[in-house]
Amino acid sequence: MFLFEYQAKTLMREQGIPVLEGIVATSEQRALDAARELGEGPWVIKAQIHAGGRAEGHVGDSEDLRGIEFSNTVLGVGQTAARMLGKNLVTPQTTRQGETINAVYIEPEIRSELQVFLAILIDGERGEPVCLASVKGGSQVERDIFDDPNNLVRVPLGAANQIALSVGHEVASQLGLPSSSIGAFAELVQQLHGLFVARDLSLIEINPLAIRSNGSLVALDARVTVDDNALYRQPAMGALASRGDQSGAEERAAKNGFNFIRLDGNVGTLSSGAGLAMATLDAITHLGGRPANFLDVPPVLEVSRVKEAFLLVLSDPGIKSLIVNVFGAGIMRCDTIADGLLLAHLEQPVRIPLVMRLAGTNAPLALSRLERSGLNIQFAPNLASGAQMAIDAADSPPAPRQTDSIARRLTQWFTWTKEGPRS
Amino acid sequence: MSVLVDESTRVICQGITGRQGTFHCERALASGTQIVGGVRQGKGGTSHLGVPVFDTVAEAINVTQANASVIFVPPANAAEAIIEAADAGIGLVVCVTERIPVLDMVRVRAHLKDSSTVLVGPNSPGLAVPGIGTLGIMPQGIFLPGAIGIVSRSSTLTYEAVDQTTRNGMGQSACIGIGADPVGGISVSQCLELFMNDDQTQGVVLIGEVGGRAEENAAEFLSALSSSKPVVAYIAGQTVPEGRRMGHAGTIVHYGLGTARTKIEALRDAGVRVVSSPVEIGSVMAESLGR
Repeated sequence: MFLFEYQAKTLMREQGIPVLEGIVATSEQRALDAARELGEGPWVIKAQIHAGGRAEGHVGDSEDLRGIEFSNTVLGVGQTAARMLGKNLVTPQTTRQGETINAVYIEPEIRSELQVFLAILIDGERGEPVCLASVKGGSQVERDIFDDPNNLVRVPLGAANQIALSVGHEVASQLGLPSSSIGAFAELVQQLHGLFVARDLSLIEINPLAIRSNGSLVALDARVTVDDNALYRQPAMGALASRGDQSGAEERAAKNGFNFIRLDGNVGTLSSGAGLAMATLDAITHLGGRPANFLDVPPVLEVSRVKEAFLLVLSDPGIKSLIVNVFGAGIMRCDTIADGLLLAHLEQPVRIPLVMRLAGTNAPLALSRLERSGLNIQFAPNLASGAQMAIDAADSPPAPRQTDSIARRLTQWFTWTKEGPRS
Repeated sequence: MSVLVDESTRVICQGITGRQGTFHCERALASGTQIVGGVRQGKGGTSHLGVPVFDTVAEAINVTQANASVIFVPPANAAEAIIEAADAGIGLVVCVTERIPVLDMVRVRAHLKDSSTVLVGPNSPGLAVPGIGTLGIMPQGIFLPGAIGIVSRSSTLTYEAVDQTTRNGMGQSACIGIGADPVGGISVSQCLELFMNDDQTQGVVLIGEVGGRAEENAAEFLSALSSSKPVVAYIAGQTVPEGRRMGHAGTIVHYGLGTARTKIEALRDAGVRVVSSPVEIGSVMAESLGR
């Protein structure tokens, strides 16, 4: 779960980490007021989205407006905010559609000679948090580090709930920071780690961290990602997320716990298990087809959740066929998939050709229900033939519209499943 | 000789009375897995599915001489369950539970550092040794005792590989789903080592995924061997576009590692046959073994 920059900075401020005073604005008027409240300019106006790369990103169709802008006048702050709000920001870290800017964050502009990149995240292989840092901080940090890996300092942090100040000293000395800043820097690393552990974060990043000539530090940007698996014990973090700006299909997917990514093709996909979902995309692409989405439905018992998954993928006007690739195992049974499809069909008639590849637990039961449904379904014995069928179906003309009444379809439903829909 | 599980393996299930625990233990028992008891605090002294239930793992070991455990407890208690099993002396722990907070697993990993307990998972479909037993949630009825070792980072693709090697008659010596979490127990390389040392195993299927560097490590492990059994690999996610990245740090920590291309190159350099579509796993394995 991503937090907005202003939310991340609020967390940091509570922890005693030096961040600037800033104000969130959701209208031009509020932006003008914010600039005045913050005092003397110049100011920086920052689009609040759940992705980085904002300084390289473009707002809407404009060539000249980026996700981070500067202004020397109060009027300029208002104008820039007005041009950003409601528009989409596309950065190297967003999808091609970008993310809608619902708020901007206004801060005084700070200049500093030395800008550091500093982050803590989980190193999966070592099984512990690791601190990454570089004196090449700023928006080009990846490039500088890829060009010369010596620009990166990497210090493992161990499994304890607290780290010693000496860890931060070690990072600072490897970075070669000026001695006037080392004490504050070591304390900062300890505070960041404290926040990381206390709040169940999977990432905390400051880039850049300004180190001023007097040795004092200030976080100019902040990024925090919370471990979704720990939200049950971090209610405050969950509440921050609910103020997030996920929109439309993505929000629907997230609410239901689906992993969903919309793509540009015409073959819709629905699978259970991220590996099988990826393999489905691979198989389609391998055969020359174009997947319309990635959709991984985690194992569920509830037919209603499966129905939501079908409605989600079928809501894409671009899809011309749909392949369902499920290997029933664990709590995921093939008949749940079949029932979910049939319920979705009741709510929103399915008019595109379907290819079902169902194997494993209760596959025969699922097939017999679907065979009696009257839907345009081809059954695939394996993934390879299923992928080919779905590609062929997407390229052929659409099936005739069905004009069944709801009542007729409901009657059919009870015929398909002797026990009726399960919830 | 076999991999991780053999005739002497006596299994308890932590969380046996829950819905998932009940469902999968019932199936495992029906297929002949030696499940000798269950653990559920507060239900000690009762029985479930015809086996005794204990309050603690230590009591279960005392009475049943259990040496393996499969864990189905909810995510909030799963880390403690793993630690309890390891501290009580269980040698093999399979953790099916998914959605365990990653910092809990950091604690577990640190705890297991000086322990001889082998952890499979978490977020693992478990492991199966056809003809002996199933620990976890792998579907029954798709396995065939045979010659292929399967190690996988992806639950559902594991079944795909099992299915294909059953259909073409090669069968499986063992099938290990190591789980998909960032911090877990047994690694792909450790599984490869088990298979290389197992007499029954003639060839190995490795199912990897984009992200992390398990496949690169596996390639390093294989390159260092003087001789290797044939290995066929499939890397899921070759055509999946990058999702949202985790800021600069996420990009940097994964730089040059973890893309499908780098994994495939590393494995090919180590002599592994990497198939480009999952449907080819079975046939290429058969070809590698000259069948």
